[in-house]
Amino acid sequence: MTELNKSAFLETIGQDVPTVVDFWATWCMPCQVFAPVVEEIAGEMDGKANFGKVNIDEERDLAIEYGVSSIPTLVIFKGGKEVERLVGVRKKAEVVEAVDKYC
Amino acid sequence: MIIGSGPAGLEAALNLKIRQKDFLLFGAADLSNKITLAPRINNYLGLPGISGGDLAARFREHLEQMAIEIVPEQVTTVYPMGEYFSLATAHRTLEATTVILCPGVFNSKDLPGEAEFLGRGVGYCATCDAPLYRDRTVAIVGYTDESVEEANFVCDVAVKVYFVPGKAFTRPLDSRVEVVDDVPVEITGSGKVEQLILNNRTLAVDGVFLLRETIAPASLVPGLETENGFIKVDAAMQTNLPGCYAAGDCTGKPHQYMRAAGQGQTAALNAAAYIDIQKHTHAE
Repeated sequence: MTELNKSAFLETIGQDVPTVVDFWATWCMPCQVFAPVVEEIAGEMDGKANFGKVNIDEERDLAIEYGVSSIPTLVIFKGGKEVERLVGVRKKAEVVEAVDKYC
Repeated sequence: MIIGSGPAGLEAALNLKIRQKDFLLFGAADLSNKITLAPRINNYLGLPGISGGDLAARFREHLEQMAIEIVPEQVTTVYPMGEYFSLATAHRTLEATTVILCPGVFNSKDLPGEAEFLGRGVGYCATCDAPLYRDRTVAIVGYTDESVEEANFVCDVAVKVYFVPGKAFTRPLDSRVEVVDDVPVEITGSGKVEQLILNNRTLAVDGVFLLRETIAPASLVPGLETENGFIKVDAAMQTNLPGCYAAGDCTGKPHQYMRAAGQGQTAALNAAAYIDIQKHTHAE
């Protein structure tokens, strides 16, 4: 999954296909547990949705701008706007179902 | 992995030790306070009228005899990966073939506003999310012994930390932390947390951490089936997730030591059998 810096982030979320952004950090242990699951979903939904991750230590402004206060958080964007957010570690099917709504 | 150091968790640990399985027992080093605080127990077979403190001492002795140690870390995530489980504590990740959940009853009701602002200022792990509160104001509602450490940690990052003790605390609190002896009523804001309303006072904050003894089972284990707040198990103490067992007060009533211990034993023996089958299948 691609690590997004601010410009890549803005470019990706502006697209018409939904974009799922995984806000994470190296010191966040639940994020480490969740990452391979998100990675797997990204593989399965390839072509239907974009997936990227934002390291909140490197892109602190993005985390603050989008009000991410707890990680992991998945934010789903479409056409540049946030359409849904999933806070915390979630069941795989729940993530797929949430993203599918916007495909 | 065994999560919880009440009678269910301890009994599960004893049985896994006897079966010579590798395991870790996570929980409070001083055992469940539901044991230690009981003044007198009259229905524990063979030990009439024993006090909670004495029973806990016997439990500890038994663990020592069996060379079982409690790992005093809180497991925050148990993720079913199919053939194994991926676990997270505040400081590390681990993998396990089976998990036995013995976290006790989850009896804390949501605070109004808690669910609405989860991830928008409400969090459950201050040390995890502290870096997101640099130069901000945070309130910590501490129901655990470790809450004090979390408050001390956050005050290195946040500009202001309020500590609302949910129980008496003895550990030293950083002098920069303001203690507010009051009762939380509601979390409010528009779009994100702005205020923590207490009985007698309202705190203007950017974040509220609620540090409780137990995590709601469904947040601890994504996909775990619960019913009326209790973890659903079959007679083998297996949950809806293969390899994941539950025992003790978390599975329902009556909340009794002997029921918990019996369930812990059942869960451990079935988990041990599950491990053997897994090994056998992989060997083939």
